[in-house]
Amino acid sequence: MKIENTIEDLHQMLNNKEVTVEELVNESLSKSKLVQKECNAFVTIIENPIIKEVNSNLLSGIPYGIKDNYSTKGILSTGSSNTLKDYIPFYTATCIENLEKCGAIAINKTALDEFGMGGTGTTCHTGIVKNPWNKLHMCAGSSAGSAAAVAAGVYPFALGSDTGDSIRKPAAFCGIVGYKPTYGMISRYGLFPFASSLDHCGCLTRSVKDAAIVVDAMKGLDKNDQTSWDSSNIHLYNSIDGQVKGKKLFYIQNIVDLENYTNPSKELKEHINNFYKTLDLLKKDGVEVEGINIDKALLNAIPSVYVCLSCAEATSNMSNLTGIIFGPRGKGENVTDMMIDHRTQGFSPLIKRRFVIGSYILQKENQEKYFVNAQRVRRLIVDKMKELFKTYDGLIMPVSTGPAPLLDNPKDSVSVDDVSVLEEHLQIGNFGGFPSITIPNGFINDLPVGINITGNCYDDINVLNIAYHLESKMPYKGQIAPLKEDNHE
Amino acid sequence: MKNFTKELVDDLALKLLIGLTDEENKMVLDEFDVIDQNMELITKIPNISKVEPMTHALDDFTYVLRDDKKEESIEIKELLQNCDKYEGREIEVPKVVG
Repeated sequence: MKIENTIEDLHQMLNNKEVTVEELVNESLSKSKLVQKECNAFVTIIENPIIKEVNSNLLSGIPYGIKDNYSTKGILSTGSSNTLKDYIPFYTATCIENLEKCGAIAINKTALDEFGMGGTGTTCHTGIVKNPWNKLHMCAGSSAGSAAAVAAGVYPFALGSDTGDSIRKPAAFCGIVGYKPTYGMISRYGLFPFASSLDHCGCLTRSVKDAAIVVDAMKGLDKNDQTSWDSSNIHLYNSIDGQVKGKKLFYIQNIVDLENYTNPSKELKEHINNFYKTLDLLKKDGVEVEGINIDKALLNAIPSVYVCLSCAEATSNMSNLTGIIFGPRGKGENVTDMMIDHRTQGFSPLIKRRFVIGSYILQKENQEKYFVNAQRVRRLIVDKMKELFKTYDGLIMPVSTGPAPLLDNPKDSVSVDDVSVLEEHLQIGNFGGFPSITIPNGFINDLPVGINITGNCYDDINVLNIAYHLESKMPYKGQIAPLKEDNHE
Repeated sequence: MKNFTKELVDDLALKLLIGLTDEENKMVLDEFDVIDQNMELITKIPNISKVEPMTHALDDFTYVLRDDKKEESIEIKELLQNCDKYEGREIEVPKVVG
């Protein structure tokens, strides 16, 4: 199918009249229906999207998907939650308006873990999202539907959001590219907030250059988001030249050293060995790559800092979900009972668990001990990274501990084990607002795995350049999951 | 080890206007010791009392005060389209003041 090409190629094909916008839209809709049937990736399929003309803009006439936690005027926007199951917004998110101005055509709204508060793609109010590479496995989350759709070739890109690793881990598990730029480069106006100090907008694509094209279009200063900043002098796509000679990268030695794990699994061993092989590709081209040990106590605190801050911020951000002014009205004799009923019926068990943790952390007796200390440890982690970024151009790490887990064994509960830091380290990128990109770097047990590059704030071009170079050294750019009806079942 | 109880978990949820089923309460209660153990990892970092808490991703925001500009606001009818109960331009709720 032609829709399975990259944005760059589709633009050329449209200009050469090898394909029309109508054909691309029809292919995308047709593929959406297959992916919905097989993977349950969407909340809404937009049956009659407005066809737009092709112009010089690379995104004109290009179909795309929108994660369902972005506000879209007149189109159902649920956050994959029963609390907003019929919610139709009266405004559109700024970054989507920016894409629309470029001529991109929204095809569907993709399913996510409820309000982005999950990492498995299994807590969407429309059901579990399945991995198109193998439907018995998860996509990870929360941008599960977007990752599944881009991996299956529904369109060349979809929007995601990333509070802990919600773009970058699903990208790894689905064998595609996931990029969140520096915090504030893309306005968050219209993104349903989860934890505002950590929330980033971004995209999922099948090539690094496509990710640059999409973020170039999404970004910009926005009067409706006071944390957005003027990036008009940054041209991501045009700045990628693939030159990496002389660059210096580091990886966190104590997380990727197999000797530090008791009984490492076969998958973990393969994943780490594959990571080192990928580093060799960079070293051959003149990139210096060094292992750096970081204080173990600081590393061990990463997942806890994330849980603490994100759950606490979420309790505040979700307090507007009352069912009184929008959302299904709860039952009750008075306003308080009506709100309790709305929230009790509307939230799923796993999101309630996070709220209870947030509530516990914010109790008067725990605030200083947990919440404020988590903010202090956040600064120590970020300061450590910024100190390293003075010497190094970026941090390079394997994503997760291996490929996508089976759906019947999702790890979405709290635990204390020695792989939790390797599983959760991408949260560093959210703590510091760092630009961070995942690209595919191989397969384990026929499932894709990914590698991540993270750089200092505002250094997006450098991060994209390293990712682009590395992508060119491996055979995974543009790969499509061979989704067939009823495979693996 | 702290003593986490069913009542404590229910109370924490209710403070956020959320009710829990017995199964949901058990799920949280069963792992509350682990949650607390994880939170304790934060307190294991030494000498942090003087570290300035980091409340946002970037420390160098530049806030610009814009000039006042008159803009059209959204029609009330549009704002009410997701509300289940309203009358005219007002949201309907049970009597609040006795």
